[in-house]
Amino acid sequence: MIKFDNVSKRYADGQEALSGISFEVSRGEFAFITGHSGAGKSTLLKLILAMETPSSGQLIANGVNLNRVSKTQIAHHRRQIGTVFQDHQLLRDRSVYENVALPLEICGYQPNDAARRVRAALDKVGLLNKEKNFPEALSGGEQQRVGIARAVVNRPSIILADEPTGNLDPELSAEVMKVFQQFQSVGVCLLVASHDAALIERLNCRTIVLEGGKLLADQKLRPHA
Amino acid sequence: MSATKRGNDNPNQPRLNRNTRAGQSESFGDLVKLHRRFARGSAIRLLQTPASSLVTLFVVAVALLLPALMFGLNSNLASLLAGFQDSAQITLYLQDSVSEADGQKVSDDLLTRNDIEDAYYVSPSQALDEFGASSGLEGLLIEMTANPLPGAIVLTPSDVSSSAVDELARQLQELSLVDVVQVDSLWLQRLAAISNLVNAIGSVLSVIVILGLFFVVGNTIKLAIENRKAEILVIKLLGGSDMYAARPFLYTGLLYGLGGGILATLLQGIILATFNSNLEVLMRLYQSDFQLRGFGLMSSLLVIVAGAAISWTAALMASLRHIRAIDP
Ligand SMILES: Nc1ncnc2c1ncn2[C@@H]1O[C@H](COP(=O)(O)OP(=O)(O)OP(=O)(O)O)[C@@H](O)[C@H]1O
Ligand SMILES: [Mg+2]
Repeated sequence: MIKFDNVSKRYADGQEALSGISFEVSRGEFAFITGHSGAGKSTLLKLILAMETPSSGQLIANGVNLNRVSKTQIAHHRRQIGTVFQDHQLLRDRSVYENVALPLEICGYQPNDAARRVRAALDKVGLLNKEKNFPEALSGGEQQRVGIARAVVNRPSIILADEPTGNLDPELSAEVMKVFQQFQSVGVCLLVASHDAALIERLNCRTIVLEGGKLLADQKLRPHA
Repeated sequence: MSATKRGNDNPNQPRLNRNTRAGQSESFGDLVKLHRRFARGSAIRLLQTPASSLVTLFVVAVALLLPALMFGLNSNLASLLAGFQDSAQITLYLQDSVSEADGQKVSDDLLTRNDIEDAYYVSPSQALDEFGASSGLEGLLIEMTANPLPGAIVLTPSDVSSSAVDELARQLQELSLVDVVQVDSLWLQRLAAISNLVNAIGSVLSVIVILGLFFVVGNTIKLAIENRKAEILVIKLLGGSDMYAARPFLYTGLLYGLGGGILATLLQGIILATFNSNLEVLMRLYQSDFQLRGFGLMSSLLVIVAGAAISWTAALMASLRHIRAIDP
C-alpha cells in the first residue's frame, strides 16, 4: 500500500530530512513512526501526502507513483487519505461540524448522507456535543480530536496521523487508538507518528524508528503479544 | 461510523466508485441547494467587509455605465435621426427649358427608384406662389411679368446616411434635365456622423472597460484569496481541486457583476432623468418633444448579464491563477 524505496528528501535549504529510507506498509497494517524531534517523521508523512516530492528514490502510495504526479492526481490521491495534522489545520471560521464535513463536501456527498457520517465520526471521538462550537472555543485535545474525526469521516484507505495524541490524556489516547484499530481491521493502512513511548509499548504495533533522517530500526510485533 | 461495515477486498477500486457515485447521485435539486449555499456564503463574506465590497461594486457599476451610456446616447441619436428622416431632402432644380409636363414625368420616373422614398414636382408657378406666401411679398410679385423661378423636384431618399445621400445626389446630377442638385440634409449628415463617432467611442470604451473590469475584479479576488489562504491550503490538503477551492470566488465575481450591472442601470436612470429635465427646456425652443430614452428592459438586462459574465470570467481567471500558487 505504501512503499518507500531508498527515498531521500533534501529541502531547498540543503537540509537532508530523510536519507535512503526503505520500508513497506501493507493494507490493514498499523505502524508507528517514532524518533526524536527533527528526525524526519513529519517529512515522511508529507511525502506520502504529496505535500513534498522525494529528492531521490521511489515512493508509491495507494498505487500512485509520487515521484511523478499531476495536480489532478494529487487532489484525487489526497481524497483517499485521511490525515491528522500535527498543527490540526482546522478552519477557524467554520464550526466543528463544518470542519469535519469538509472532506465529504469536497467529494460531493449529499448533505443528508454527509450529516450521518459527520455525526458518527464526531461520536467516535466523543465530541458530538460540540458540533456547533468553533475550534477556538475548544481545548487543544478537543481540536486534535476534531482533526481525527475529519481524517476518518471519508473512510480513507490510508490514515496518516502526525502526533494525534500529543494533547490527549492516556484514556483519550486509548480511545483514539481504538478508533484507529477499527479502521485497521477493515483493511485501512495506518501510519502514526508519535513520541508517546508508553502508548506504543502498550499497543504493540510495528514501529519504524527514525534517527536524523535515517531508518534506525523497523521493529515488527513482539511475538508474545 | 461504519468502517466495520465496509467489505474491503480492494480498498482502491470501491472507493473510486463510491466517490463518483456520490457525485452522480446528486439530483438537480441537491445541486441547486449546494450552489445556493455557496452563493449565500459568498454574499455573507461580501457583507462582512461592506466598505471595500461597496467600493468594488461601485467601480464595477461605473465601468459598466460608461459604455452603456454611450450606446444609449447613440440609440437616442439614431431614433432622433429616424424622426427627422422626412427632412433629409434633396431638391433638384430643373433647367429653365423643361416644361411642366416633362418635369412631372421626371418626378414620376424618380418615384420608381427604390433608393427614393418620395418625390414631388413643384412647377415654377407653384414655386412662385409658395415663395410669395412665405415671404409676404405677394403684392410685389404680381407686378412681375416673367417668373424667375425654375421648376423643381423635391426628393426624400430612402437611406439618409450621408454616403447614400451623396451617392444619390451624384447620380441625380447626371440626369439630363437637371440643372442643380441641392442636398438639404447636411446637418442631418453631421448628426449621423456624430452618431457613428459615438458608436465607435462606445466600442473602444467597451474594450477598455472589459480590461479594466478584469483588473478590478481580479485584484479584489486576489486580495480575498490572500485573506483566505489558510482555508484554501486546508482544502487542497484534503484533496479539493483548484476548481473546488475557486468556487466561492466565482460567486463573489458573479455577485459583483450582477450588483454592478443593476447599480449601473439604476444610475443611468437617474442620469437620464436629470438630463431630460434640462433637455425639455432646450427642446421646447426647437418645438420638439424629443426625450432621451432609458436603456429599456432588454438593454438593461444586457448590461447586467454582460457585467456578470465579464466579472465571473475575471474571477475565474484570477482565482485559478492565485489558487494554483498556493501549494501545501
Ligand atoms: N519546509 C522545510 N524546509 C527546510 N527544512 C525543513 C522543512 N521542514 C522540516 N525541515 C527540517 O527537516 C528535518 C525533519 O523535520 P520534520 O518536521 O520531519 O521532523 P519531525 O520528526 O516531524 O519532528 P517533530 O517531532 O518535532 O515534529 C528537521 O531538521 C527540519 O528542520
Ligand atoms: Mg513533526
